[in-house]
Amino acid sequence: MGRRPRSFYVLAAFFGLFVLFLYGPILTIGILSFQGPQGGLTFPMNGLSLHWFRDLFQEQAVGDIWGAFRRSFALGLMVMITTVVVSIMAGLAFRKRFAGSGLLFYAAITALVIPSILISLGVGLIFSQLGLRIHWATSGFGAQLTWTLPFGLLIMFAVFNRFDKSYEEAARDQGATAWQTLRYVVLPIIGPSLIGVALFGFTLSYDEFARTLLTAGSYNTLPLEIFGMTTNVTTPVIYALGTLTTLFSFAIIAVFLLGAWIMDKRRTRLGSDAGRGI
Amino acid sequence: MTTNRHLLGWLQAAPLIAVLLAFLIAPIVMIVIVSFWGATEFSIYPAFQFDNYEFLFGSAVTYQVFGATLKYALITWALTLTIGFTVAYFLAFHVRSMTMQIALFLICTIPFWTSNIIRMISWIPFLGRNGIANQTLLSWGVIDAPLEWLLYSDFSVILAFVHLYTLFMVVPIFNTMMRIDKSLLEAARDNGASGVQTLVHVILPLTKPGIMIGTIFVVTLVMGDFITVRFMSGSQRANVGRLISNDIALLQYPSAAATAVVLLCTVLIVIAILLRFVNIRKEL
Amino acid sequence: MAKPKVGYTRRALLRTGGAALAASALPAPMLWAQDTKDIVLRQFGTGVSNLNDVANKVKEDLGFTLEMTALDSDSVTQRAATQPDSFDIADIEYWICKKVWPTGNLQAMDTARIANYDKIVGIFRSGKLTPDSTIAQGTAPHTVGFVDGPGSTSFASAETGWMTLIPTIYNADTLGIRPDLIGRPIESWTELLNPEFKGKASILDISSIGIMDMAMVCEAMGEVQYGDKGNMTREEIDKTMAIFTEAKKNGQFRAFWKSFDESVNLMASGEVVIQSMWSPAITAVKSRGIPCVYQPLKEGYRSWGGGIGLSSSLSGMELDAAYDYINWYLSGWVGGYLMRQGYYSAVPETSKTFMSENEWGYWFEGKPATDVITSPTGDTLAQAGDLRDGGSFNDRMGAVACWNAVMDENQYMVRKWNEFIAA
Repeated sequence: MGRRPRSFYVLAAFFGLFVLFLYGPILTIGILSFQGPQGGLTFPMNGLSLHWFRDLFQEQAVGDIWGAFRRSFALGLMVMITTVVVSIMAGLAFRKRFAGSGLLFYAAITALVIPSILISLGVGLIFSQLGLRIHWATSGFGAQLTWTLPFGLLIMFAVFNRFDKSYEEAARDQGATAWQTLRYVVLPIIGPSLIGVALFGFTLSYDEFARTLLTAGSYNTLPLEIFGMTTNVTTPVIYALGTLTTLFSFAIIAVFLLGAWIMDKRRTRLGSDAGRGI
Repeated sequence: MTTNRHLLGWLQAAPLIAVLLAFLIAPIVMIVIVSFWGATEFSIYPAFQFDNYEFLFGSAVTYQVFGATLKYALITWALTLTIGFTVAYFLAFHVRSMTMQIALFLICTIPFWTSNIIRMISWIPFLGRNGIANQTLLSWGVIDAPLEWLLYSDFSVILAFVHLYTLFMVVPIFNTMMRIDKSLLEAARDNGASGVQTLVHVILPLTKPGIMIGTIFVVTLVMGDFITVRFMSGSQRANVGRLISNDIALLQYPSAAATAVVLLCTVLIVIAILLRFVNIRKEL
Repeated sequence: MAKPKVGYTRRALLRTGGAALAASALPAPMLWAQDTKDIVLRQFGTGVSNLNDVANKVKEDLGFTLEMTALDSDSVTQRAATQPDSFDIADIEYWICKKVWPTGNLQAMDTARIANYDKIVGIFRSGKLTPDSTIAQGTAPHTVGFVDGPGSTSFASAETGWMTLIPTIYNADTLGIRPDLIGRPIESWTELLNPEFKGKASILDISSIGIMDMAMVCEAMGEVQYGDKGNMTREEIDKTMAIFTEAKKNGQFRAFWKSFDESVNLMASGEVVIQSMWSPAITAVKSRGIPCVYQPLKEGYRSWGGGIGLSSSLSGMELDAAYDYINWYLSGWVGGYLMRQGYYSAVPETSKTFMSENEWGYWFEGKPATDVITSPTGDTLAQAGDLRDGGSFNDRMGAVACWNAVMDENQYMVRKWNEFIAA
């Protein structure tokens, strides 16, 4: 290891400031969520307590935080599973360079760049004009997929761009059917990336606000509930909620990272499970 | 065999196509249709009239608001690009061990996974008239009176945008930088290029795809935003998204749809221009 | 998670398979026989009165389940007008009713089934607080309170026995101030635009209400003379907006607020010292030990009223339950709960039994508190000897200058409002 150039220290300092900038506000509300029972939304701290966390688990004057949390969690799982399955299928399809794939690709890019509120507005309008009932699990679910699927698709592109086709050819040469090739060769190789797709699918859905705004119907998802709370709540209980949801997000990432790590371990230990099916 | 390939491709892509048709194409078509409709106070009725567009293009406020939207997008883009590039450059070329790189990268990405609204409102106790920033500056004697422009201003709006979206720059730029063959840098150095020369003539051109992808994300996110502007400006500033959301709140759907159509065209034009510089599918 | 609500599935049944049976006017109970406890009524409205405490008390007293959804005023209007399937009970304001009633999403209520109908205050029936009071400008509740009969979509001019909304809650609004940060008496609406408070004023971003506050200010300044503040001409709207746009560009306003809790935060943090405000927001600021006054002004109050409307799809046992709920609502417990936050109840005399003498004296009669006044949630709002800002019920509701309104030029106003916010 050679001596670090001076630019390293300048850049390292810059990086440190950037991290501080990223985490500063979150730390602020983290600290404020420990306000005493008489504390307000701003500094100074008025005592130190877990009051607002306890308060969070009691019923609020308005709204239903835990119902919203359950709905968001369920919706996140639905979106996650759908995103993984549909992205894999679409990723495989694009490898075939079928006629019209270019058009479909641009449609997916459009879904990615279109302002979220347009999806919200359009889906809301369609449902109301068709006389359908908007609900987070139908209209909300669909609206969120337009955001998670392009992400999933882009990850699949990144994966298949790096994919070595010779594995598949080898499998085919050994007489594996198309399905066997997919199941025992392709999927195990792209497995860790699928965890990434799943993670994106879940968290993008779990945090999605604008696309759900006009498509959730009677029952709020968590971001909508938080949005409601920013206008309905005058106590640090909202910071407590913020702190908890942040910790929850961390927990989700940890679970996914652990999953990826275990898969990686298993693969190094056992080698690929390619071949076991034949 | 070829027809088989096309057919199979279509079958595998069918779920994606179905979702995009139902929840992307259909809503866009619907918005375009409704933008010609009329509205009463509480309902909308089918019609074919240009009233909504006339009102939109006839109002000076529209041009101001589109101007403000582009201004936010441009300033945010410049700032996120500068910060994002620097951070990615540090991670890719100055951090030497792979583990450290991944660890630092994760540190950057983690805040991205938490609620945008929470991240936004967490600035408020920091920037307010009696917030930490003002208190600190006052106690240091840097200022005599609290700075009013810290909160509910263009400054706070852009600050929040940069805070929320810099990551969308860091990730793709870092991704392309990691794919740069390190031997190219050595070759440049061996040929006597200075650090800055290497940066400008080797790294920057090779990083362009990543920059473009990041640009697309940041620009579209900022142009489509309505909630950050509302929170961070205390409803005092407006961008196009807020114009639309106000109309929606006031039940003026056709008017909202007309504005939405114009916004969509603007965004798509910007993206079409950006896509000329990069082939996303190849560069991932 | 996706477990169907009993109430919902049955309603779906009613609409499809059961529709024919229902139409033939069978005495329903056989078909719908079920326990009251299985009934779920979905109510939505603003956070002002959509309180979980009320839902819990309903479960306790009446046995059925009330699901509450709290939204801001605009979303409330939107849902009432466009999503009739998403609610059974709409808790809306009278001016919203003027917009929503013509859609046919609500059904008229038979006053014969309302036990305390005769005790509802005059404002909601004849329009007069006392026999000799004059009726203020704007959408006064009684003008949109009655229709000729079930199915009628136009409003009746006098009591008919069919009500659109059952009045539940109302108040007289004025400006809230931070006396400690202003340090001098405030007497007129004009102070909102006084350059002295540059960057420290705020108004609310709800067009139908905000325009009325603006009108109060412009009229007090003598800048605009209105024929009827509750029904402005385009010219009057333009003038009003021009004055406020000018002020906005000069940096008069710190922020705009959309729900009353935002106004609490603005006031409590000292970002704003004078703004349009609602009564419970004042009490919320005070309960943190921060001085805040709901300043009576010489030009009078801007008033509003809210009520409960029934979805037109309600029928059978659920409709009965809804009537039970309404009768319960007017029987005093909720009234007392709301009055102890600074609102007024539509039937004050029933609420009296749910308030202590001290509370009744302080909130309703304008007498000095004889002991500590606390909110329903236990926060201290006033000490012994304190007086309510503005005085008694009759002093406050008797000085109403205008009601929140929807005007004939509403759509034009809304567009101008949107421009004002974006300017």
